[in-house]
Amino acid sequence: MSGTGSSDAVVARNVDMDFGTGAMAVKQAGFSLARGRFLTILGPSGSGKTTLLRMIAGFQTPTRGEILIGGKPADAVAPHRRSVGMVFQKLALFPHMSVEENVAFPLKMRRFNPREIPGRVAQYLDLVRLGGFAKRRINELSGGQQQRVAIARALVFEPELLLLDEPLAALDRKLREEMQLEFRRIQKELGVTTINVTHDQREALVVSDEIIVMDQGEIQQHASPVEMYRRPANPFVAHFIGVSSFLAGRRTETGLTVNGSDCAGQAVADIAPGAEARGAIRAEQVRIAAPGDALSGCDTVLEGQVSDTIFEGERLLYFVTLPALATTIQVFHHDPAEHAPYARGATVSVGWTARDLLIFPAKDR
Amino acid sequence: MPNPSPEFRYPLHWRLMDAVERIADLVWPRRLSRHTGWLFIAPALLLVGLLVLGLIQIADASLRTLDTSTFLMSEDWSTENYRKALSSSTYLTVAWRSLSAAVLTTVLTLILAFPYAWALVRVKKAWIRKALLITLFLPFFIGQVVRAYGWLIILGNSGMVNEALSLVGVTPMRLLFNYGAVVFGLVQYMLPFAVLLLVPALTAIPEETETAAGSLGASWPRILWHVLLPMAKPGLIGAGLVVFTLTLTDFAVPAMLGGGGQDFIANAIYDQFFRTADQGLGSALALILVAAGSVLVGLVFMIFGAGTLAMGGRK
Repeated sequence: MSGTGSSDAVVARNVDMDFGTGAMAVKQAGFSLARGRFLTILGPSGSGKTTLLRMIAGFQTPTRGEILIGGKPADAVAPHRRSVGMVFQKLALFPHMSVEENVAFPLKMRRFNPREIPGRVAQYLDLVRLGGFAKRRINELSGGQQQRVAIARALVFEPELLLLDEPLAALDRKLREEMQLEFRRIQKELGVTTINVTHDQREALVVSDEIIVMDQGEIQQHASPVEMYRRPANPFVAHFIGVSSFLAGRRTETGLTVNGSDCAGQAVADIAPGAEARGAIRAEQVRIAAPGDALSGCDTVLEGQVSDTIFEGERLLYFVTLPALATTIQVFHHDPAEHAPYARGATVSVGWTARDLLIFPAKDR
Repeated sequence: MPNPSPEFRYPLHWRLMDAVERIADLVWPRRLSRHTGWLFIAPALLLVGLLVLGLIQIADASLRTLDTSTFLMSEDWSTENYRKALSSSTYLTVAWRSLSAAVLTTVLTLILAFPYAWALVRVKKAWIRKALLITLFLPFFIGQVVRAYGWLIILGNSGMVNEALSLVGVTPMRLLFNYGAVVFGLVQYMLPFAVLLLVPALTAIPEETETAAGSLGASWPRILWHVLLPMAKPGLIGAGLVVFTLTLTDFAVPAMLGGGGQDFIANAIYDQFFRTADQGLGSALALILVAAGSVLVGLVFMIFGAGTLAMGGRK
């Protein structure tokens, strides 16, 4: 994932973007992306992810640093000569043209052989499963079908790079999840290098080969989805991907001491014993049982009271107040047959293994 | 529902609205509510009705000839006025001048208004937008006659333009009282109307659409031709129709900047009514103008639809 080879489709080096409005939009961003990979840039709104994408698209020039696409600077050629296909947030389809005219547009503008155009348009409409819709007007299509037209239009001229600027953000959840799988299928079928921008962590995990998490203009971590989930680089990433509870305390030999109680955990970096530290534990890695249950296999077992129970369908979310740690943690319970075994106010045991409580230096965000 | 405390009183404007509502209930009871639409368009119907009455009177007058010895209108109806109007080469010239100037003015105005409206919609800085709006509206507030007079001063034989030209050794030339001066004055007068009618149409085109067209491989002339102009078509038709009809029936600009030698139909009608006092011929000319204008606008409606003038309705 690091190191710059000749097979890299996109390389960013020390990229800054300063709009002159206070904080920099993007700070010292650097990454490289190998050909054929699907990268998602994930972050909350205002994290600089869209600015980074617009610089990769060549719509904006970095204040400092450089972005290379296929070894050439992103903004070296005029936008209409670049080999970059983009699906826009609001799709930006042409309402005065039919579906096939929309898809043929880039081929005509890029002076493809006119005899080749109808065949190619048909081929890409089939790819996005819109075979029978060629003559339709854009306003006669559903939201999902419009998405598919936008994808076909961005891919039909076989660009080196496909950029997705949060095109799924406006869709309802079912359709969004369906289109995520479509993006993944099409990307795998064509093998086109793809960069996707989103604030939806689930989407990032589902579609990507690799993920970059951004916050406040800085890249927080660049890793595979599994790595990102298992070994978040800092509390921000742990907080942004999945549901985690945080414990503030001091580093000990075996973990962390919180409010005078020992919690077993493992540090992600070298932290001197006695130094301030923060622990993060995922809600699905905390086990919950009746009080007095041994919770065999757990390295830390504590008693607490259920302060709230939230039914989420496939799982229950408990908020458990732990007097020993003077804090409340979140716990998932996934057993549908046993839904709501603990009422609000009930005393329960919770526990975890040392592997699952990750300890970060306190200065990390 | 929680009871308001006894000392609570609704604000005055709420109580006023309540009173108005009660009065409205007395005057126009609720069971008549499905006819309320008619009530709302009643003033407009009244106005149009008056216009129709006027037109009927004009139609009546157009069928009576003027007796030049008694200066009275004839008792009998005849089509003599129409024959005279349509066979006269003077009126044919005037009609052709009005029509060609209207077409030319419409085309030139749209060409100038489109980039102006586009800049107004796309410009990011608020002060530039304000400057553009003020520049557009300042002449708008001055009125047609004063503005035409201003052009007389600027373009006159010893006006500012000729003074400036003489500085670089060009002999003064006649810039006023010709066809060009009239079209120039009309374009300048129509520009704000056209810009105002184009702005909503251009606002409806997301900037992302232009960016997208660029990223798909279109250079800017092709973005303009394949994306912007087709998407702005309703605005262009609406603006074009308004400019065309206003120009075709304009009076002040040809009168002042044409200097009597560049009359439009409206000027000819004026002459018949107020100089020759031939109401019959004037009425016939007026009806011919109404008919010609209506037919042309109707043709545009049929071919292109009503554009933004359809207010979102289908053609």
